[in-house]
Amino acid sequence: MSFFTKYRDKADGSIRHYDMHTPGVRVAAVIIFIACLVIVTIALFPVFWVFLSSFKTIAEFRNSNRILPLAFDWSGWAETWNNLKFGTNYINSFVSVGGGVVCAVLFNGLLAYVLGVLRPRGSKVVFMLVMWSMLIPPTTSFVALFLNIQRVGLTGSFIPLWLSMGANAFWVILFKEFFESLPRDYIEAAELDGCSSLGIFTRIVLPLSKPILIVVAIFAVTAAWSDFLLPFLVLNGSGKETVMVKLFSFRTNIRCTDVDILRAVVFAIIPPAIIFALFQKQITDGVAAGGIKG
Amino acid sequence: MAHSTPNTLRKTRTPKSKISRVSRKKDLAAWLLMLPSLALFAFFVWEPLLETVHMSFYKVKGVTLENFVGLKNYLTVLKHPVFAKALPNTIMYTVWSLVIGFFVPILIAALITETVHLKGLFRVGVYFPNIIPGIAALLILTYFFGSGDTGVLNILLNKIGLGPLPWLTNARWTIPLIVLAMTWKSAGSTALIYMAGIAGINPEMYEAATLDGANPLQRFFFITLPCIFNLGKTMLIMQIIAVFQILYEPLMMTNGGPNNASISLMQLVYRFAFEEYKYAQAAALSVMICLILIVLTAVYFKVAKTTDNE
Repeated sequence: MSFFTKYRDKADGSIRHYDMHTPGVRVAAVIIFIACLVIVTIALFPVFWVFLSSFKTIAEFRNSNRILPLAFDWSGWAETWNNLKFGTNYINSFVSVGGGVVCAVLFNGLLAYVLGVLRPRGSKVVFMLVMWSMLIPPTTSFVALFLNIQRVGLTGSFIPLWLSMGANAFWVILFKEFFESLPRDYIEAAELDGCSSLGIFTRIVLPLSKPILIVVAIFAVTAAWSDFLLPFLVLNGSGKETVMVKLFSFRTNIRCTDVDILRAVVFAIIPPAIIFALFQKQITDGVAAGGIKG
Repeated sequence: MAHSTPNTLRKTRTPKSKISRVSRKKDLAAWLLMLPSLALFAFFVWEPLLETVHMSFYKVKGVTLENFVGLKNYLTVLKHPVFAKALPNTIMYTVWSLVIGFFVPILIAALITETVHLKGLFRVGVYFPNIIPGIAALLILTYFFGSGDTGVLNILLNKIGLGPLPWLTNARWTIPLIVLAMTWKSAGSTALIYMAGIAGINPEMYEAATLDGANPLQRFFFITLPCIFNLGKTMLIMQIIAVFQILYEPLMMTNGGPNNASISLMQLVYRFAFEEYKYAQAAALSVMICLILIVLTAVYFKVAKTTDNE
């Protein structure tokens, strides 16, 4: 019974609680629920599969059709971690992500603050340019970008990866919309107290903008962690390879076994999975809000 | 201009010259604040774009531009045998993504909206593939689509008594399967956007429809779907623009194979630039892709405008 009574709380969509008197709708509700279970299984099965397979030995992986491993033996993980020197890749990725997040928040935030709050003469033109750059596919210019980085001698360095996170039109717009919604009184009061523009940004605007800071920071962390083309072009062969560059190199590297690759995949998923577990609500809300506004 | 302005300037400024000087100083400070950010946009976005256009008209040796060659690079690309495959492939990616990728998120959003049980799990579950880094997700799916007995899907088929399928090694299936992989990875986030859109529909519309005797299915077709129609149009063009630039999926899963059956335009750019070091051709192809995308975007805005006016 309770399966249908719970529909009393339903406040969106086509099916409402008063439809539950109709037997046909009841059947449909059960079918829809089962369909959702199927969908979520399809979405999650590959993740479970890779996690379970990472505990298998290579012989087991090749010869057995079982999905579950024979034993949950962590020593295989340790072996792959050490053999592939994954610790170094992790540290490289953390360095790359850390600097990237700082740049993402600082530079996009400052630009949005100037465009949304200070609005100096001519800032509208800048905003147009930023909007236009969203229409231009980012991959169009990566050849020239890579040559630029080469010319200024920054290959093999994290600096271009960090700074590249500071020029993201989408995040500028997210910041700008939030800053524009802040109460003007606070900003004007600080102005009257003789606070400088930068002071207002760091002491008034940023503390009031925690929700959007968290959203952009999370987006930046996942983007920086997952990014591989620029890191591959800039860092490959420098000893500073990030986790993704390492995974990309499996494409051509025949020295690793399948099980090694699967374990590496698990290592690559764990940090974003932890972030997702911690900030689930902010992430799902941020995606929905960003999509509707964009 | 220099002769006529001083008078008018002085006229407007004399009473408030102090304020004007303060505001000018403030403007200058504001520009200084955003200068570093603008420099980054210039270095990472704007200059490379101009440089790409510039380079596409030149003969490039190593990384230096030698001499102006007009449209020669463009012609070389257009006559390139792989281009004749990459262009139709890219169009097929887009078409398949409309067939598979466009409707799946709407379906997921509609189904999850219409249930009340385990809703949190469903939302988080369908979104989860999005947080997997692209390369990792593609490596996993490569194992799923593995041909022979070791491919995961073949193992699953074997359990229900069906024979192994060739999956990605069958040239006809490669593109739809890669689109399926993309859809698995990204449908969840689009579904969340649609769910937010459905949740934002004015409840009075549903009430009115119910009073008029509409059943849930009719409400879905005459209220829910029309209300997310505009959102759908935006998602559609964003999807076309994204899929037209497809690169990582064929690069990782098939490397463009079998026999260039899945190579995309962007992957051809990648090949020109980073495997053959023909930067000028890479630039010329990039510019062409960019032009196509600008045309698509313009068409979209036109379509969106005319349907809004009706």
